[in-house]
Amino acid sequence: MKKTFTIVVFLFISFSALAQMPHDAIYMPKNTACLAVSYGNSSWKEYWENTLLRENLNMGKHTTQNVMPMLAVGVSDKLNVIIGLPYITTKTSAGNLMGQKGFQDFSAWIKYKLVEKDGLALHGALGASVPASNYVAEFLPMSIGLGTKTATGRIVASYYHKSGAYFTGSASYIFRSTVKIDKDGYQAYNKVYNTDIVAVPNATDARAAIGYSKKAIVTELFAERFTCVGGDNIRRNDMPFITNNMQSTSIGWYGKFQPKNIGANARIAYVTNGLNVGQSMSYSLGILYQFNSLKLLKQKN
Amino acid sequence: MKNFKIKTLLLIAFVTLLNTSCDKTLDLEVAEAYIPADLDLNASNWKTYVLTSNSEVAVAAPKPTSDPAYLKELDSLKNKIYPALTPANKDAIAYWGAGAVYRWNEIARELAAKYNVPPASNAEGKYPVPDAANPLADPMFPFANPPYTARALAYLNVAQYDALVTAWSYKSKFGRKSPSKIDASVKTLLPVSDLASYPSEDAVVAGASYTILIAMFPGEIPYLDTKLAEAKNARVWAGVNVPSDITAGDALGKAVGAKVMAKAKVDGMSTANNQALTAGMIEAAKGRGIKDTWLSQESPIRPPMLPNYAAVATWNFDKATMAQIRPTMPYVVGSAEWNKDFAELEEINKNQTREQARIANYWADGAGSYTPPGHWNREAANQGHDAKFSEVRMARTMALVSTALMDAGIACWEAKFYYYTPRPQQFGLKTSVGLPNFPSYTSGHSTFSAAAATVLSSLFPANATEFDAQAKEASNSRVYGLIHYRVDCEMGLVHGKKIGDYAIARGKLDGSGL
Repeated sequence: MKKTFTIVVFLFISFSALAQMPHDAIYMPKNTACLAVSYGNSSWKEYWENTLLRENLNMGKHTTQNVMPMLAVGVSDKLNVIIGLPYITTKTSAGNLMGQKGFQDFSAWIKYKLVEKDGLALHGALGASVPASNYVAEFLPMSIGLGTKTATGRIVASYYHKSGAYFTGSASYIFRSTVKIDKDGYQAYNKVYNTDIVAVPNATDARAAIGYSKKAIVTELFAERFTCVGGDNIRRNDMPFITNNMQSTSIGWYGKFQPKNIGANARIAYVTNGLNVGQSMSYSLGILYQFNSLKLLKQKN
Repeated sequence: MKNFKIKTLLLIAFVTLLNTSCDKTLDLEVAEAYIPADLDLNASNWKTYVLTSNSEVAVAAPKPTSDPAYLKELDSLKNKIYPALTPANKDAIAYWGAGAVYRWNEIARELAAKYNVPPASNAEGKYPVPDAANPLADPMFPFANPPYTARALAYLNVAQYDALVTAWSYKSKFGRKSPSKIDASVKTLLPVSDLASYPSEDAVVAGASYTILIAMFPGEIPYLDTKLAEAKNARVWAGVNVPSDITAGDALGKAVGAKVMAKAKVDGMSTANNQALTAGMIEAAKGRGIKDTWLSQESPIRPPMLPNYAAVATWNFDKATMAQIRPTMPYVVGSAEWNKDFAELEEINKNQTREQARIANYWADGAGSYTPPGHWNREAANQGHDAKFSEVRMARTMALVSTALMDAGIACWEAKFYYYTPRPQQFGLKTSVGLPNFPSYTSGHSTFSAAAATVLSSLFPANATEFDAQAKEASNSRVYGLIHYRVDCEMGLVHGKKIGDYAIARGKLDGSGL
């Protein structure tokens, strides 16, 4: 019979590199844009099978890598549009599970500055994602994604002190669609569902960061919490499934250096606690390029 | 202004997506009640599997319908039970109305899926064996793998069938009509046929199924108690049986179930996991010319699944026949034929197409699923339901398919451990469906699927082409998933077809004329 496996929190792959992220308080000025291309790597040796933190000798170390181009556009000084599409590969260091690869989910966000006063600001962000390829969702933990369409509503609060110190906090609710899988029956919640449609639980996330931002430099420490709203647990020694109640708490650091149009950023994060997810260490590195005038660009073309 | 337009557009896109995202309605199979296309009134004389005759289990004569006790039962249906029905009662009526054999097979598949998880290794690097006396410990008992599930479903269906043949005999003998045919003022919530109602066929199936399933899944007794009570009550709530129909049916079903389980207890399954035999099996395979033998690819090394499952008693042929129809010697590693099969797998390993992955996934039926026997059990049940089969004909259909599937499992396992051949993963290939932990040749999926498809094609000839295509696709799926060589699958299909033919031959001689 099949061996046991586990999971990756794919959701954290998205938007790990750019300066203007859906969870921060930074905006591209009107008619400017920033293109980022990042490389990300996330790996784990242990995972939470329900609440049990365990290793799996038939997987060894599980690694997810991604390359993601992202574009943030300043529609106005208060409204940014951000799009991205990661290409993902998965592999394990032991066992015989076939690695998967492909374009994962195309995502788009709009971020809008709702109020700003004395360095305090409140922002709203709406995001959506759709699978960009017909990847296999039911082969966790090797699948490159969960196969859901998502819609996210997010609220972000920020405070910037003139010294450069800042704080941001955000919270989101993520609606996740049903997924059509290859099988026409599956086990979840100790029941058999005689259908190929799977209800993936919705999710929430929350994030808090403190940092320093001055001139070309951004550096921050953050904590993140991701929680499914419902879902079932990986059964003893069973494979994970897309109905699982995945939860995780991560801490990390993010930094950016962009003296001129060209810049770079980096991010590192570690899962400290979880449920039905891998205890992953992840990092990403990105190169940024800022277009100062989109109109100029258009004229040239 | 332009910004506003963009904002509006984005907002519309978001709201649209939100709506699609929020809709989590699952399109589940709906099975409704029906009047059987044929009441199969001659089923009293159909040949049983385990019982020696249709009167081996006695059922007492019911009270006449003029008896005050019966009239009191009728009055209770009309004036106590019907007026007090709750929405939950009505849901139960609709659920069980789909058919007793249909629902109890569905329950069995659900339990198989729940228990189909391989034991985890412990701190000493050993795999504890599930303990029937302590079913809910870690690891849970049973590990409902394909051979286990094939056997559980076969005994379930045989018990249902033998009990129903007996029930049909008593129905015909006593001829007590259903409540609404005696008193037209009895309100019914399910279709009522002209079949005699004593003993209740639904209670017969419930009692027989319960008895098999609590033995096969001993950790589920509380759950099965609930199901049994609901199955029996639903018939009374629906006004289609009086309690005395139910009590007699339940007792008959349980008595037949006990006789069938008594046979199961001594069918050889207790020695199926005899790991002491494997060293001798490996030597014997080498003596037959198999140079590279199978080795578990798990870490720590896991003992193979039920190496002595071949010792279990077959249904439709004897062990001498099993040896005669055993697939011939597989390709030896390194031979030109083996190299050709391996080259096909290497190409898939490099460039598996999405369609190949889809087929591999669709038929995977691996850990956490109801297994390939469960897959075909579901197909058989749906076919019988679509054809509006009577309970007894449904049970016959399921028993013919299930015994063929169990025979397929036994014969396939015999071949697997006779030849003891290595999996492709021993030569560096990956898999997209997970690697079964037992020898390669022949493919269990191919053998199971061809056996079931052959029987179904005989029972539902109009759909024969479809069954054949499904069996071939199930067989191919193991090549696409990279865990079987082409020859494993092709020879498994041939083997399975022969096994299915023996079940058909049994069916032709069972007196049903079907």
